[in-house]
Amino acid sequence: MDFAFTDEQLAFREQVLKFSQNEIAPLSEEFDEKGEFCWEAWKKMGEFGLLGLHFPEEYGGANADVVTSCMAAEALAEGGADGGLTLSWGAHTFLCADTIFVHGTPEQKEKYVSKLASGEWVGCMALTEPNAGSDAASVATTAVKKGDRYVLNGSKMFITNGPIADVCVVYASTDKEKRHMGISAFIVEKDYKGFGVSKTLKKMGVKTSTTAELYFDDCEVPEENVLGEIGNGFPMALQTLEWDRSALLAPFVGGMEFVLKQCSQYAKDREQFGRPIAQFQAIQQKLADIKCFVEAARLLVYKVAWNKDQGSALNHMEAAVAKLYVGDWGMPMISEAVQIHGGYGYMHEYPVERVFRDTKLAQIGGGTSEIQRMIISRLLLS
Amino acid sequence: MDYSLTDEQLALQESFRKFCDKEIKPNADKLDKADYAEADKLMKQNFKKLAEFGYTGMCHEEKYGGSGKDLVTQCVAQEELARVCAATFLSVGGSLGLCGLPIAHFGTDAQKKKYLPKLISTEMIGAFGLTEPEAGSDAIGIKTTARKKGDRYILNGSKTFISNGPIADIAVVMAVTGKPEEKGRNVSSFIVEKGMKGFSAGKHLDKMGYRGAPTSELFFDDCEVPAENLLGVENEGFIQAMKTLEYGRIGMAVVALGIAVACMEESITYAKERHQFGRPIGKFQMVGFKLSDMKVLTDVSRLLIYKAAWHKDNNHPEAATMASIAKLTASEASTKISSWAVQIHGGYGYMTEYPVERLYRDAKLGEIGEGTSEIQRLLIARDVLAKY
Amino acid sequence: MDYSLNDEQLTLQESFRKFCDKEIKPNADRLDKADHAEADKILRQNMKKLAEFGYTGMFHEEKYGGTAKDLITRCVAQEELAKVCAASYLSVGVSLGLCGLFIAHFGTDEQKKKYLPKLISTDMIGAFGLTEPEAGSDVMNIQTTAEKKGDRYILNGSKTYIINGPIADVAIIMAVTGKPEEKGGNVSSFIVEKGMKGFSAGEHLDTMGHRGAPTSELFFNDCEVPAENLLGVENQGFIQAMTTLEYGRIGIAMLALGISVACMEESINYAKERQQFGKPIGKFQMVGFKLSDMKVLIDVSRLLAYKAAWLKEKNDPEAATMASIAKLTATEASTKISGWAVQIHGGYGCMTKYPVERLYRDAKPGEIGEGTSDIHRILIARDVLAKY
Repeated sequence: MDFAFTDEQLAFREQVLKFSQNEIAPLSEEFDEKGEFCWEAWKKMGEFGLLGLHFPEEYGGANADVVTSCMAAEALAEGGADGGLTLSWGAHTFLCADTIFVHGTPEQKEKYVSKLASGEWVGCMALTEPNAGSDAASVATTAVKKGDRYVLNGSKMFITNGPIADVCVVYASTDKEKRHMGISAFIVEKDYKGFGVSKTLKKMGVKTSTTAELYFDDCEVPEENVLGEIGNGFPMALQTLEWDRSALLAPFVGGMEFVLKQCSQYAKDREQFGRPIAQFQAIQQKLADIKCFVEAARLLVYKVAWNKDQGSALNHMEAAVAKLYVGDWGMPMISEAVQIHGGYGYMHEYPVERVFRDTKLAQIGGGTSEIQRMIISRLLLS
Repeated sequence: MDYSLTDEQLALQESFRKFCDKEIKPNADKLDKADYAEADKLMKQNFKKLAEFGYTGMCHEEKYGGSGKDLVTQCVAQEELARVCAATFLSVGGSLGLCGLPIAHFGTDAQKKKYLPKLISTEMIGAFGLTEPEAGSDAIGIKTTARKKGDRYILNGSKTFISNGPIADIAVVMAVTGKPEEKGRNVSSFIVEKGMKGFSAGKHLDKMGYRGAPTSELFFDDCEVPAENLLGVENEGFIQAMKTLEYGRIGMAVVALGIAVACMEESITYAKERHQFGRPIGKFQMVGFKLSDMKVLTDVSRLLIYKAAWHKDNNHPEAATMASIAKLTASEASTKISSWAVQIHGGYGYMTEYPVERLYRDAKLGEIGEGTSEIQRLLIARDVLAKY
Repeated sequence: MDYSLNDEQLTLQESFRKFCDKEIKPNADRLDKADHAEADKILRQNMKKLAEFGYTGMFHEEKYGGTAKDLITRCVAQEELAKVCAASYLSVGVSLGLCGLFIAHFGTDEQKKKYLPKLISTDMIGAFGLTEPEAGSDVMNIQTTAEKKGDRYILNGSKTYIINGPIADVAIIMAVTGKPEEKGGNVSSFIVEKGMKGFSAGEHLDTMGHRGAPTSELFFNDCEVPAENLLGVENQGFIQAMTTLEYGRIGIAMLALGISVACMEESINYAKERQQFGKPIGKFQMVGFKLSDMKVLIDVSRLLAYKAAWLKEKNDPEAATMASIAKLTATEASTKISGWAVQIHGGYGCMTKYPVERLYRDAKPGEIGEGTSDIHRILIARDVLAKY
């Protein structure tokens, strides 16, 4: 058993942390306030190499392993980047670009991956629908073969990057009878006829991440844009969990470390009753609890990452445990962090306020806490 | 609206508190630690004393020797007893409440005259037999049968976790009399007396807490029960239970509250007296704040209990749900509070010579008996979903 | 980075698990319920068996009869014992861990040769005496004194909650040797042997949980301890304690983890077998989701304990804080988990026949011994405030 990171990983982490603190964090504040996607930050991340980190060099990546990718995501959040930006990154790189990279034909990879890895194009992944959330298998968007194309009809909901995406990996049903084994994946480009954004959604948190309701109205997708095998869509979507439960969870860990620093500094600066509030046990209790959460969450998330680096198949139990813990145990912690800041914790100008709104998503997006509990208990009882 | 207790209630609270501290509290520890023979003896003594005070008669009409107090007044008194001895509270509640109330509500005049005065005087001790080894939360799944044969019913089956089982003179027992497919409307209640052929009680069951409250299985082996011992109408057993359940829920909420209050009082005293790092430990926020949280939860529990009792006194349609809310809240609070209490006492908290050690063991049952927390949540959710 | 156990660890885990299930588990209940005389006998038998397996030697160097396993390997083994019998775990841990490690780290060659082989073989049983009636969390407030007089020290005072107290052959005793105003740097450690004039153990203290781990006070009445029984250097006692404390913290974290795992395994089995409303109760989300939460907290506890062990093994400056984090998290988790386990078992969970009843009582002390949860929070916060 060994919990060490390599010197290389640690050095890279430092770089990302500084990059975040100096280049990204100030932008995050500004754009969260506006509720807008920050193209400047995105560009910088692309230039830094973050958006395609794990891809091979021929696609513009750095061949980073999963642990390193997690470290980068964690460090970006720890430096002060907001949850919206890290979410957009995660959805773009790991739920869209990576799916094309893993399952795409050489032509598809050639066409899409490099541009996505650099951030020149923005990607999104569309699985969830207005009536298919936790019950993801009940996807109702259809894809019917018509000659050399597929015609898509339906709608998708809560799609991260939807409003700004150039490329979208869309999951649609090609065989309703086969239920979740009758779902297929398609690469849809934004200019395709019949595909569009019906609504840009206003959210509690992760405000710099744009989120859309998408529509497909006899949207025609060329045959060559079928991604992977027909009927294999659901397993493909499940596979994205490997990244979802590691690199997409890592920002929550980094964000909480960021918050811990904020809390510690605030507690030492803020004086009441003649002394820094850090001297009150009530505050110490909260600092300790947040610290314990961060350590625990980090261990769980990196275990998932390490497993993937070992080449092991996704351990559904571990993935669910990590997701559930980060969400349900994290939310009370960010609440305590706001509490430490008192009235200031409720004000927009203090980052903990934003992190509170951002963290709530951890219990919902990418698989609710309830679903995680279902998975875990089913496995335990089998 | 009026949050105050009446003068009568305040006077009762004061005198009963004195009584409990003097007559019941000194033996509470012994009752928990003694072997069953001695514990049962102590319990019966407690019963007698409580009868003399008039506590046992509070939930029953005057014509049977009771004092017919309203439920809120009963709760005021109950909290005092629960505070000093959860086991005694449970046993007395099992006898006068779970056993006595069905008789009071559904019995014939003859049955009421026969049993209630003796239950109230504690000359007789009662029990209530519903739960079975295979029917806990799924109470409708009980399997004990009662077959009518001429002028009697023949009962076959067994019950478990029966409070007062080992010492009961009578028990209100629920058994299937109707068709198996008519679940929910096929059970009847019977008054079974010790000594009836085919009826026996098992040994004392050994429990984590409430050790002084004698508990056992009951066995019915072609047990012959005279037809006149049918309680109320055939096949209405579950409807009867539904009506009396709220009393049990509120009772369980009160014992949980009593345990919580005892924990808080012990903890406050300890936090004031125990010095570490040069000061009373109560001055440390990590200790003091636990006391604050205890106070919050006990206040909340008490108010919910009073509201549930008031609803029940007024036959309000919300009474059942409020009883569930009170029971769920108070029992989960009391488990938490008992844990904080042990924590505050540090090492002493897990020494059996300290009351909080017993309270920790007693508290947990509250989340299970009289409908588990899960069941209460299901009922409350059902009500919410129906309303909105 | 490597989250896997190596082959040696996996083999040890499997063989020790089999051993524990066969040799220790069958007596765990008896150990909890028997009177102290019988319990002590069973415990000694357990200790002998554990010595034969080689478990007791894992903490110590080969030259004394040990097998010197690294801390993570020890954790792997510890979890298996903790799972089946908290009391045995605790007794052995105190003897070989607290007492033995003190001697191993600070003893002279003679002292190590004299005591370690016997502790490892369990011919001798060790205890560790720091806590006093007036010095729990405020450990620097100990009052027991050791006055140098020629070729001996005269000890006066008393200790409490001393695990193995009633059966200890040898005890590491911490007493004040320096100036009262030099708190933190005025305490020394002594090896006191049973039979030394003026040294006696009190009767067994009756505890809520881990009842099979004999616990008592220790009394020093002009107790004469030869000067060569000073352990290490005078007035270095607290520094010694500081460095060995992390082992104790990790040890308690593993104990809590073992209790949690036992709770979860019992609960999974029960949830599969117990049927209500026509299906195994595990299929109800209010039950199944508790199992999920158990799993999450167990995984978290284990990883934190392993990380703490890994850091300690490397003498990393972060080790102390991580040990606190592991201890705090694992023990609070195990109290919660034991509560859920009893809840899942319903009425049976409160019956002493069911293991979860004992586990509920065994879990709670984890939040108190080896530094209360509150103390650990203070330490962790101190570290956070120093870092940021």
